[in-house]
Amino acid sequence: MGPLEGLAYGFTVAATPTNLLACFLGVLVGTIVGVLPGIGPVGAMALLLPSTFALQPATALIMLAGIYYGAMYGGSTTSILVNVPGEAGSVVTLLDGYQMTRKGRAGAALCIAAVGSFVAGTVGVVGIMLAAAWLADVAIRFGPPEYFAIALGGLLLLSRLSGGSVLHSFVMVAIGLALGTVGMDTVTALRRFTFGSVALSQGVDLVPVIMGLYGVAEVLLLAEQGVAKALIVSVRLKELLPTREEWRRSWAPIGRGSVVGFITGLIPGPAAVLSTFIAYNVEKKVSRTPERFGHGAIEGVAAPESANNAATAGAMVPLLSLGIPFSPATAILLGALVIHGLQPGPLLIVQRPEVFWGFVASMYIGNFLLLILNLPLVGLFVSVLRLPQHVLATLVLLLCLVGAFSLSNSHLDLWILALFGVFGYALRKLNVDVSPLVVALVLGPMMEKTLRQSLFITQGSVVDIVARPLTLAILAIPVVALAVPPLLRLRRRPRAAAAPVA
Amino acid sequence: MLERVVALVVLAVAGGYLMLALALPYGTTARPGAGFFPTLVGIFACVVGAGMMVAAFRTPLRARSALAAASETAGRTRAVSTVLVLVAFCALMPWLGYPLVAFGFVTVLLQRLGSSWRAAGVIGVLAAVVSFYVFAVLLDVPLPSGPWSS
Repeated sequence: MGPLEGLAYGFTVAATPTNLLACFLGVLVGTIVGVLPGIGPVGAMALLLPSTFALQPATALIMLAGIYYGAMYGGSTTSILVNVPGEAGSVVTLLDGYQMTRKGRAGAALCIAAVGSFVAGTVGVVGIMLAAAWLADVAIRFGPPEYFAIALGGLLLLSRLSGGSVLHSFVMVAIGLALGTVGMDTVTALRRFTFGSVALSQGVDLVPVIMGLYGVAEVLLLAEQGVAKALIVSVRLKELLPTREEWRRSWAPIGRGSVVGFITGLIPGPAAVLSTFIAYNVEKKVSRTPERFGHGAIEGVAAPESANNAATAGAMVPLLSLGIPFSPATAILLGALVIHGLQPGPLLIVQRPEVFWGFVASMYIGNFLLLILNLPLVGLFVSVLRLPQHVLATLVLLLCLVGAFSLSNSHLDLWILALFGVFGYALRKLNVDVSPLVVALVLGPMMEKTLRQSLFITQGSVVDIVARPLTLAILAIPVVALAVPPLLRLRRRPRAAAAPVA
Repeated sequence: MLERVVALVVLAVAGGYLMLALALPYGTTARPGAGFFPTLVGIFACVVGAGMMVAAFRTPLRARSALAAASETAGRTRAVSTVLVLVAFCALMPWLGYPLVAFGFVTVLLQRLGSSWRAAGVIGVLAAVVSFYVFAVLLDVPLPSGPWSS
């Protein structure tokens, strides 16, 4: 099935009433969690994952993905109007977005953010169609050594790019990998690290870990910060139209932001956040008037808002074509696919075309729904901020607890949720990013399986695994990314020391 | 000081994990056993922990300002209260049942976070009843009803 034929088939799947409703609910919830500071898309996706068990796989995936990209739209609203980023991908938007609000151009900023997100979302979906189908075709030829190299390389790159110290990221990777070894060994059926607990022999479930690290930890931070009331600016519908000059200034940044965002999304790491910083800096560099940035330049809203939406689409490519998630959000989507008995990977397009193409088509529909929802209903979404934060936080915590219990009706999941909630809170206080832990927990069992298979194939020769051309090429990328910055620093140091003191 | 404590904890946990991994059957490189991958992970964790130790001891100790510590106290108390209520929920739910524990959880937490007892109680009752109805009745989640169920 070619991309256009596949897309047409996808629309027949996505346009069924159930899937349309799932898409609508997903983007609506996504927009609301995007608007609300403190409750991010990953926590919301984990929270709603148990409610998708009864749905068809394509429907579940459509709803969960809707939350992910819907949050990128919603996040910009609070950044622009209240100077508080609804989620991490909208931090850069507030630099110029809020300045535009102060100048009375909030409506134009919101409109450009929504249109930019729509264009980027659509460009991103075209990218998925072409890249994922092509990559899946190539990946059919991959063996266990290549999959092991991709997982290992992805984790190394993620550690380099997730911000903060590489050592801290490595600790998170080690914890994630170690958690992935808990439970019954799939080859020998031996119980590992279960300490006699029958419940633990099934392994540590991803969902309570994510709910704890993202949902509970965020609630604990909200509790610590106390009750804060946001100053809400109201925007009338007629104020939403940008001027001709604002449109003219925005088109190119939207285009560049879309491309930058999609490419960044393909790389392991906090793609949505990273892409906004890159897109903003690109615009500043190419601008003839860079001094306007930070003082209400509309390019500073258009580029990052386009980039974060395109990045969410880019992040879907490794998930759909290789079955490998490189971010916590795509790890949840992988979890949803596995729960429904699907094996994500290159054969997904061939074996379950309704899931792959239905999902891709739903993203077109979802982006269109978001455009319709976000512009006229912006006032309604902002009014969500009037809800007392502590009441919302308490109810979210209760939902996390019931949601974790409902996964397998196990009290152990409740304790895992609480434990990782406190752990996630402590990590936030220490400024440590938790995403390497989540991705390592998901990739760990796959890494173990593929490493054991690879060693079996090569009769225990590590050299034979690494010397395969594809494996070597895949591993070279993260090794260069990890090694080059310290080497450059070392090279600069003697020069700096040798420089004469004025 | 905090960095040194964290590094020490990481190294201790990594060492403990490696000890347990070494007790599992390792197999051979050509036929790896159940302990093969955990041993590699344990070694990696120990190396990273040792790296953190070196980095932490090379960084000079910084004194925290008394003002910063005092301004955080109220927030910390709210966060600790939330953790205690969370732990109480997990510990009491099997014995007292979901509806009662959910009511207590929401009421106490809301009061600790700034609501009046009356408002917290009303929201607590509503939250417990609605969530029990949605999850236990509509979605068939076997939430424990407690000693009053029969």
